[in-house]
Amino acid sequence: MRIYVCVKHVPDSAANIHIVDHLKIDESVPFLLNPYDEHAVTEAVALKQQMPDSEIIAVCLGKKGAESTLRSALAMGADRGLLVETDAVCDSMATARALHAAILKDGSPDIIFTGKESIDSEGMQTQFRIGALFGFPVATNAASLDLTAGKAVVTCELAGGRTRTFELTLPCVIGAGRGLNTPIYPTFPDVVKSRKKPITTLALSELNVSAAPGSAKIVAMTPLVQKRTPRKITGAPSEQAAEIIRILKQEAKVLS
Amino acid sequence: MTKKYDAIIIGAGVIGTPIAYELCKMGYKTLNVDKLPDAGEGSTAGSCAIVRAHYSTEDGVALAYEGFKYWLDWENYLDNVTDEKGLAKYMNTGSILIKSDGHDWRKVQKHYDAVGVKYEEWDVDTVKKHVPPIDMHKFWPVRRPEDPKFYDEPTEMLEGAIFCPEGGYVNDPALSAHNIMRAAEAKGGEFMFNAEVVDIRSENGKVKGITLKDGTQIDADIVVNVGGPHSFKVNQMAEGVWEGCNIKTKALRHEVMYCPSPEGYDYLNDGYHMSDGDIGCYERPEVGNMFLIGSEDPECDPQEWVDPDEFYAGKGGPGRDNVLTDAQWKAQCYRLGKRIPSLKVPNQPKGVVDLYDVSDDWIPIYDKSDLPGFYMAIGTSGNQYKNAPVVGRMMAELIDACEKGLDHDKEPFQYEFKYTTRTLNVGFFSRKREINYDSSFSVNG
Repeated sequence: MRIYVCVKHVPDSAANIHIVDHLKIDESVPFLLNPYDEHAVTEAVALKQQMPDSEIIAVCLGKKGAESTLRSALAMGADRGLLVETDAVCDSMATARALHAAILKDGSPDIIFTGKESIDSEGMQTQFRIGALFGFPVATNAASLDLTAGKAVVTCELAGGRTRTFELTLPCVIGAGRGLNTPIYPTFPDVVKSRKKPITTLALSELNVSAAPGSAKIVAMTPLVQKRTPRKITGAPSEQAAEIIRILKQEAKVLS
Repeated sequence: MTKKYDAIIIGAGVIGTPIAYELCKMGYKTLNVDKLPDAGEGSTAGSCAIVRAHYSTEDGVALAYEGFKYWLDWENYLDNVTDEKGLAKYMNTGSILIKSDGHDWRKVQKHYDAVGVKYEEWDVDTVKKHVPPIDMHKFWPVRRPEDPKFYDEPTEMLEGAIFCPEGGYVNDPALSAHNIMRAAEAKGGEFMFNAEVVDIRSENGKVKGITLKDGTQIDADIVVNVGGPHSFKVNQMAEGVWEGCNIKTKALRHEVMYCPSPEGYDYLNDGYHMSDGDIGCYERPEVGNMFLIGSEDPECDPQEWVDPDEFYAGKGGPGRDNVLTDAQWKAQCYRLGKRIPSLKVPNQPKGVVDLYDVSDDWIPIYDKSDLPGFYMAIGTSGNQYKNAPVVGRMMAELIDACEKGLDHDKEPFQYEFKYTTRTLNVGFFSRKREINYDSSFSVNG
């Protein structure tokens, strides 16, 4: 089975993010493998354990520095990497076209994994656009995956804790959600092994990418301004706990 | 409005609070001022709070060994005070010092013998028996992952380790400072928070008091600089103090990492504190069955000396601000990954970035100053947490002796340990000393 995993090189969510010119972020912060893509790589590795003849190819569109994200995917268990190098900021239409062209050039996929979204642009579109370009079915925010008899049975998480289970024909595109698995992290010996795994770099211009019929570009960005009004919860520990539960239920509404 | 105290202590961390506590017990009316909202919230909170005896000087070993006795007897030390936040706990894990080229362990062993520190010598098999996932290959010299030689296969084995059954860590360093604050308050000490000192006032060649950012002036005949990473800035506010120090301090940025323990290894309950010069790391268990991974400042690692105010404000950019860097994350975690090959290293860095208050020779300055009435407990260099209660007592006695007329520069104060029967020449920590080349010039002290 040939498994492609699309990964994105994103800013570390713990970094001090600064916006430059109201348009982009200061990219001198640490970048790493998009956390949802960790679930995608982990699921691919689990499939390979079931089907050892499989090959896992991690694909990334990004700047030269994105190679470190591909190295992370290789250390987690991908067999080789494919970097489509560009300095351009790509919208999800252009990204999907580039990834589609890179995968087509490389081989024919049996399954394509992505994360359900990237934590920087949060577009949640690329997996659908890749699916459309290939003509493959897509399921996203996957919480479980079962490959049987040439079909993928995927349970997806919807809003409010609901789930829906789909049966997809193969090849298909699956957007991994947090519920899908616990990411496997590499050990140092895994890192050493991954150094010998190949990464092929292609310039975006080398690929036969069809022009998108439209585009979306960022024209303004504003940082999140958090208006916080701290208040002290007092009383005995049991009273404090009860008050926290009340706030989580009635004010934050994160508990039912 | 001018208020008056016997002594003002600048800082309410784990060194500032015990100085107040001990001065209060001696009858001084003290006030601690701190720019943060509560005790122990500064670099104390970022401390790994490791309690171990190995230091590169005999006095260092003696001071640390004396410190154990305080942590072991915490409730009594605090005079059984109640803290609404609960009490910090000393977790005795035992401490393994790997015999390596990265530590002058023979010198440490000699100091252990001189001071009477209990220890055992472990061969490689004994180390493996106690730490099942360990790989005792020799990886020296310490390198960075950017260096291709970092990945060379090791061929030699280490010879073993020195194990001290007495050693471990304090589970909540900020809480320990808070505990001491409550103990000091019970003896009459006062604390003022969200109060930033902007000036040290002096008159007729003697310290007079402090001025806060909001203009408040508070007077005292004694002012003690325990400003942690801000110590050099505080010294510069006091007339002639900075210039009068032969040894200076500055703030060094430091990263500490958390990695989950390998599957099947209960590091939290079965693990040891380990100091491993062969890979330039030290480790101890952390809540959540994590490895807490500190750096022993190997020569190949960059040192970022920063402005503490900019650092804590998140300014200066990657590698200079208060966010972990990917490069150092990989350096420290992969180094430990050589020693513990089953250690899993997440892609996203997780840990603590804080500042050390480092002196020129990484040995603290516990001293008076050239401005009468102004004292310093600074340059703690990431290695004095464990000594804090002893230092509190020692500083209080030094201050008392100087205020009663001792010329500490001429006749250095001799501090009698309370638990171990030794006398420490406090002149060892003098600001006027020449650089002590016996030091490890690292967090090891």
